[in-house]
Amino acid sequence: MREVVASSAVGVGFGFALSRIGFSQWDEVHRMFLFKDLRLTLAFGAAVVLLAAAWPLLRRLSRVPPAWPARPVHPGTLAGGLVFGAGWALSGACPSIALVQLGEGQLAAVYTLAGIFMGNVLYAKVHERWFRWSPGSCMDD
Amino acid sequence: MTPWAWWASGVALALVPLVNWVVLGRMLAVSGRYTALVDRFRSPPQGPEMSQAELIAAVRAATAAEFGEAAVATEAPVVQPSSAPAPRTSLSSIVFLASLALGGALSAALAGTAPSGLSLRSEAFPRIFGEAHWVTPVVLVVGGVLVGFGTRMASGCTSGHGLCGVSRAQPGSLLATCAFFAGGVALSFLLEAL
Repeated sequence: MREVVASSAVGVGFGFALSRIGFSQWDEVHRMFLFKDLRLTLAFGAAVVLLAAAWPLLRRLSRVPPAWPARPVHPGTLAGGLVFGAGWALSGACPSIALVQLGEGQLAAVYTLAGIFMGNVLYAKVHERWFRWSPGSCMDD
Repeated sequence: MTPWAWWASGVALALVPLVNWVVLGRMLAVSGRYTALVDRFRSPPQGPEMSQAELIAAVRAATAAEFGEAAVATEAPVVQPSSAPAPRTSLSSIVFLASLALGGALSAALAGTAPSGLSLRSEAFPRIFGEAHWVTPVVLVVGGVLVGFGTRMASGCTSGHGLCGVSRAQPGSLLATCAFFAGGVALSFLLEAL
């Protein structure tokens, strides 16, 4: 129950923030990728810098060390990243954004959402059939 | 609706993973929520899940049945549970994904933004892809498939790799995030050139 309530609180906050930042606007994302508007890129960079400063602090403060999953490079990292980037530029959505768009009333995001689930299932099948590497524990977090 | 300034956006994007870490004890990773749901749907769990205490009791009973009570007379040392977070439930993943939509709805409602129906709120999209009615579904489904396929293949997306992994200098996340942007930049310039 606690997990569900906490997930819900984080989700609503994240969805609201992504909407107000403008990450859910196809045109904003398009301008980011064309380097025509650096606002989203700067926001992302600022967040990474703030997080890099905050993690060690939080780690020292917390009694139980929370999960700190390693994210190693594997054979799917580069190719998968490029494929996702292309999909992001086409649909204007990363996995959380499709849902934010839907909530905002940009109902065409149902197509993106359906596509994300199809792509996820498709990769699972492709991986089982042809690939022999382990994607690591990253799937879990 | 005027979007937040870059610095305020940066603070917000940093706060979400931090709060997530404090209240859930794990890294924020949205594509992982999709994967958790997909895997649950593809292979439903067999039988009821056991707690550690139930498992120990069951093993104990089976040992006694096979080798007699003497075999379990001495108490086994109690194993301390690890501090790893409990496995995510499907319910919490569904609730998390639905809450993202709720957050978007809240933002739109407070700003008084009208729904855009079965299209995206965009000027560039129809300019690039044309106005034929089949264009939006086709482009978005194809884009969505690439997003789902690519994030699962790379084991993460903009939140897990981009925010949480890069800020912890994880090698896989640094490479993946460079690839996200390289793929996005390449395709966007291609769209403009066509």
